[in-house]
Amino acid sequence: MKQKIIIISALLLLLALVAFMVKDFFFNKPGDNNPYKFELENIRKGDTSMTAYSETGQIKTSLAEIHGIATDNSGNIYVAGKDGVEVFDASGIAVNKFKIEGIAQSIAVVDNDNLFLGMLDHIEIFDKNGKQISKWNSCGEDAVITSIAVKGNDVFAADAGQKVVYRFDLKGNLINKIGLKDPATGVPGFIIPSPYFDLGIRKDGNLWVVNPGRHSFEKYAFDGTLLTSWTKASMAMEGFCGCCNPSNFAFLNDSLFVTSEKAIERVKVYKTDGSFVCVVATPDQFEEGTKGLDLAVDNQNRILVLDPAKMLVRIFELKKQ
Amino acid sequence: MKKALALIFVVFLFSVQLLNSYGIQRFPKPEFESGYIQPETLLPSPRAEVLAIMDIAVLILSLSVVSWLVIKKRNRNGVFWMSLFALAYFGFYREGCICSIGSIQNVTLALFDKSYLISLSALIFFVAPLVYTLFFGRTFCAAVCPFGAIQDLVAFSPQKLGSRINAVLGVIPYIYLGLAVLYAATGTDFIICRYDPFVGIWRLDASFGMFVFGGLLLVTGIFIARPYCRFLCPYGVLLNWVSRFSRKHLTITPSNCIQCRLCENSCPYDAIDMPVTTKNPDDKRTMGRKLIFITFLIPILMLAGGWAGSRLHEPLAGVNAKVRLAKQILNPVTGKDQTETFEIQAFKSQGKQQKQVFAEASEVLHKFYIGSWILGGFIGLVFGGLIAGWLITKHRTDYTPNKGTCFSCVRCVDYCPVKME
Repeated sequence: MKQKIIIISALLLLLALVAFMVKDFFFNKPGDNNPYKFELENIRKGDTSMTAYSETGQIKTSLAEIHGIATDNSGNIYVAGKDGVEVFDASGIAVNKFKIEGIAQSIAVVDNDNLFLGMLDHIEIFDKNGKQISKWNSCGEDAVITSIAVKGNDVFAADAGQKVVYRFDLKGNLINKIGLKDPATGVPGFIIPSPYFDLGIRKDGNLWVVNPGRHSFEKYAFDGTLLTSWTKASMAMEGFCGCCNPSNFAFLNDSLFVTSEKAIERVKVYKTDGSFVCVVATPDQFEEGTKGLDLAVDNQNRILVLDPAKMLVRIFELKKQ
Repeated sequence: MKKALALIFVVFLFSVQLLNSYGIQRFPKPEFESGYIQPETLLPSPRAEVLAIMDIAVLILSLSVVSWLVIKKRNRNGVFWMSLFALAYFGFYREGCICSIGSIQNVTLALFDKSYLISLSALIFFVAPLVYTLFFGRTFCAAVCPFGAIQDLVAFSPQKLGSRINAVLGVIPYIYLGLAVLYAATGTDFIICRYDPFVGIWRLDASFGMFVFGGLLLVTGIFIARPYCRFLCPYGVLLNWVSRFSRKHLTITPSNCIQCRLCENSCPYDAIDMPVTTKNPDDKRTMGRKLIFITFLIPILMLAGGWAGSRLHEPLAGVNAKVRLAKQILNPVTGKDQTETFEIQAFKSQGKQQKQVFAEASEVLHKFYIGSWILGGFIGLVFGGLIAGWLITKHRTDYTPNKGTCFSCVRCVDYCPVKME
């Protein structure tokens, strides 16, 4: 009896293998086994064990397009985009809105409440009521100003089009360029295949710039000297992947980096040395294909994620446990 | 003990292969501005001629040594160790390529496609085992084919299947051979290579599905010895035919069979023909009727098979790239979330005319129509042969290896109390 069962089982297994061959050859649709298919499904799945933040609020914006987000010392939230800037208080209530001409790709708020807007190829400065204070000269016809940071009398602007960081004075005079490839000084040059190029200044006075094509963060002195860098290239959650990531970042507690990525939309936190800390938001929390998740951190250490696909400012806070 | 040593040897071969295939999947960092120029995609250069000749030399030498061990020395141990050598050389070192089984397709393609030049090694790998089989039986299967070697290693508890099951399952290799020839002749695919169950094991690079396929075949092989060789191998069909005419085939006894029946259950492949001593053998009239029946039956089965095959020529041709492309052009994917297939995208980028694609597909379909007639007729013939085998009883007085299905593994010899003087 036992022998019969063994034989029947083995025969059934053999026939199943033959059936597999027939099914695979004749009935599999073309493309079912495409070995070149770029599979992101597993990467897109959220890993809750790494996620230390939860979404606690959303602010609906009313601009036609949204591109940049910034906060001030009072906790107000500034959103810049097509033809306007919208201001919300910390609770998400709209407190101001003013028009601008054109599309603001980036925004920075300085202590005196002046707003610096990156208007594609030039910078415009407004006061908090929306009155234009000045309009600087174009940085060039290929310029795309994607990020602005201000420290004292220095204004830094990231130009994704010409792959360089400008250092201006407060009047818009160019002081020097930063990040141009220079093997003599070890500056690798920025690799920016798509127009997402962010920078920020930490309170210690150092300028950090994303080199997205290298999946790196580079720290520069204001004179353009490369001080240090860290790189995290990986398909895993702990790294950056794709052609060019991260697309945006902000400082948290002035010691951590909050980063956002495109293609595999996710927001994460890293230490200054580049070691991975935690996940803020996983890809499944965003619409597939969302790009330009600009970031800001407010005075309550809440992480504000600008979601251009949903036209929202999404607020993430550290989980209580 | 011998098998344990062999398994240790195979584990060693696996570990060597693991070292070879070790590698880190590196993330390609973009270097758009460094002046780096992407190299053109190159095809791997062919195996050096001297190494190809070495493969042929090893094949011939192995066939000679194994044939000598089987026919002259009747030495099971020698055959066993030679099979391990074949596993190491043709399996793990040569990574299963080139192999005699797959060479059927090379030969077929060379016959049907004038632009295809078959390599010398492919030709020799196809011909040499057949030639040796014609003289010495299937000594190639005994210990030169790595497929047989790896399956032999796992045949721990082989069960007897019975002649009916063996006969019915034995039809599968004929169908597989017919399909392999059809697809190679039409330039569609090398299906023997596509469904090579062990090449992924030699190379440790198979897809998950093929690893499972090969693994399950080995699991099956624990209870059904050499399942691939017996019930799938298309080259085995050719060897089976040729072996029936082999000049010197392994015999169980070196002298006269003393009917001790000790060898009766010795063959794990059910390849020993038992003595048939029916009390009432068919009289001449009955035999004549049977022969007439078979004479009419086989052509009918062939015609029916051919007709049925011809009805299936379109589905059979559906896997051909040209036919598939033509079908996709005629019935483009229009689902909400579906985009164009890679084939359509590639076709559009080539700037080819649709008319040309349809003409090519039509030509392929015509080839399949003829090929399907032949394939169906061939399968009809096989079934006819199967029925004939059941109807006509051969009378035997001794225990003899079936010259067609015997792998010349020499296991049975050790059971025979009659020894060579």
